[in-house]
Amino acid sequence: MDIRYTPEQDQFRAEVREWLHANVPRERLPSLDTAAGFDLHRQWEKKLHAGNWGTVNWPVAYGGRGCDLTQWLIFEEEYYRADAPLRVSQNGIFLLAPTVMEYGTEAQKQRFLPPMAAADEIWAQAWSEPQAGSDLAAIKSKAVRDGDSYVISGHKIWSSRAVFADWCFGLFRTDPDSQRHKGLSKILLPLDSKGLEIRPIAQLDGDPGFAELFFDEVRVPAENLLGPEHGGWGVAMATAGFERGLLLRSPARFQAAAQRLVALYKAHQDRLSSGVREHVLQAWRDTERFNAATYALVARVQSGVSVSSEASANKIFWSEMDKHMHRTAMSIMGAQAELEEGLDAIENGRWLDGYMFSLAGTIYAGTNEIQRNILAERVLGLPR
Amino acid sequence: MQFQFTPDQQDLIQATHEMLLAETPIARLRALSQGADGTDISDQLAAMGLPSLLLPEAQGGLAQDFVVMAAIAESAGYVNLPEDLVEQAGLVLPRLVALQQEDLLRDALAGKVKVGLVSALRPYLEARSYDYFIVDDRLVPAAEIATTPVKTIDPLRNLVKPDVAAATLLAIEDQGAVLAAAQLLGLARRMIDMAVDYAKEREQFGQKIGQFQAVKHLLASVYTQIEFTRPLIWLAAQTGGAHVNNAKISAIDTAMQASETAIQIFGGMGYTFEVDLHLFMKRAWALCGVWGDRSYHMHRLETLILDGSMEIGPGISFR
Repeated sequence: MDIRYTPEQDQFRAEVREWLHANVPRERLPSLDTAAGFDLHRQWEKKLHAGNWGTVNWPVAYGGRGCDLTQWLIFEEEYYRADAPLRVSQNGIFLLAPTVMEYGTEAQKQRFLPPMAAADEIWAQAWSEPQAGSDLAAIKSKAVRDGDSYVISGHKIWSSRAVFADWCFGLFRTDPDSQRHKGLSKILLPLDSKGLEIRPIAQLDGDPGFAELFFDEVRVPAENLLGPEHGGWGVAMATAGFERGLLLRSPARFQAAAQRLVALYKAHQDRLSSGVREHVLQAWRDTERFNAATYALVARVQSGVSVSSEASANKIFWSEMDKHMHRTAMSIMGAQAELEEGLDAIENGRWLDGYMFSLAGTIYAGTNEIQRNILAERVLGLPR
Repeated sequence: MQFQFTPDQQDLIQATHEMLLAETPIARLRALSQGADGTDISDQLAAMGLPSLLLPEAQGGLAQDFVVMAAIAESAGYVNLPEDLVEQAGLVLPRLVALQQEDLLRDALAGKVKVGLVSALRPYLEARSYDYFIVDDRLVPAAEIATTPVKTIDPLRNLVKPDVAAATLLAIEDQGAVLAAAQLLGLARRMIDMAVDYAKEREQFGQKIGQFQAVKHLLASVYTQIEFTRPLIWLAAQTGGAHVNNAKISAIDTAMQASETAIQIFGGMGYTFEVDLHLFMKRAWALCGVWGDRSYHMHRLETLILDGSMEIGPGISFR
């Protein structure tokens, strides 16, 4: 075991730092859940891509930099250290892309990955349905094979930024006689398809951050099937593994937040009770635990071990850490906690935004209750 | 960056774990708890070279680094090893090298003399026939220091209180904290494994209690805490600093949560002397309080981070 960066890794960090220092926008961008904010975040993605920093861990052939996962972690550390914008391409580049690389045909990789890297096509997810949330296998939306096409009908919900995005990756029932996990398929389709209606849902902060999708005989070319027909559950679970596990939430994001929390504490400590101190320290402590565990996980993945059910522990840990950290910030800000922007608002309401977003973290990507079931049954071996 | 053990280290850790498990079955602990002795496995530990794990090759040691020591301490915690291997191999014997006591080291390795370490952070020592004590990094003949027995709730250990005030060197203090944290982690994992086994067997309302989500979620929560404490302990073992304080606090919280969860799942039986859980729980209580208790390490972090100006944030964790 040697927990030190190599000179090459230090050099890589310096390159990332230099580029970000010269290019990160000085002003914070408006929320990516608004039309204007989404567009500005897309412009930022294009700038990242132009510098070849958008998808560092992808192979060069598909628009990446060919970096290993340790370099990806270093990139993330510099990214959040620079307080760079949130990644509007995240659903595509972190969740769908690894699945395309694992299950896609060469033609699909060539078709979908480069425009995803370039932010010409930004992706949304179409999995959940009103009656298929935690119980995802209860999906009813169907895709009926008709010659060279699938004809999709049904209703999807909680599709993040689908109002603004270009494409979605959905899970549909392709075998009408199938039950539960069997007979589902993963299909990719443009969000401007004929017969697809997108209705925004105002989220907790009032922004149209997610949407409902209504499919009325939407015709999609059969070549947009990702992975085996009727084998979509396995493909989807690979994506869920990425979502719960490594790629979506790197430790740097939380380490930067803990750093800001300590600064917030120091600015207000004269009026705070001593009990707050342990909560502030817990934020730092948990982010360091998460960071060490992530580096250890990356080492295992790089030596060929695949991550499966243990990704559930990851998701439980980061989502509960995030909620605790932001709750602590809310308690420190007192009467100012509810201020969104303008006079007296601390950091323009950034902690408030973060707190609201953290409340979703224990719900999306499979609720933490579902994650605990997975750990208990598949890792600890308790009976179903 | 290699945040994992080499294959050789992995083999050594695995072989040690299996040996400790085979040589310390529950029956051995139970016999000891009832006052039976004569089951000492010091010879088996020595045969694997474990007491000299950290010693340089010139002294016949395995020259392993401290992270391997921490991994082996986790296994010692898992089996609740009665021998004081962890402190001897991890703290005492390497200190004899630093004090240039090579003859004494040779005799200690041969089992001819016994050296104990006195520290204000670990005020009670296992009762053994000591020949020397290390006090403030000096070597003192045991005859010069009076010891008084103290009574612990732990039926596996007999303790004495040395009648001397002793500060501790920071290096030893941090290493002691890392090793206590690692043992706590092993104990936590063992208590959860015991509770999982019980939940797979015990039936109520016509089904295994492990089928109830309320039981599953309790165990999954502790499992998560365990998995997010282990790599931090490795990091603390290698880099020291504030990670040590974090590791000890995290291990304390995890072990206490594990013990309270396990006793809850065992139900009324968990509250009996008959069920083995208490043997592990009591060792955990002891380790929580030594080499810096929760407040001690929390104060250190307060001083460094809240009242001081220790740099924190992304990209600097491994400095």
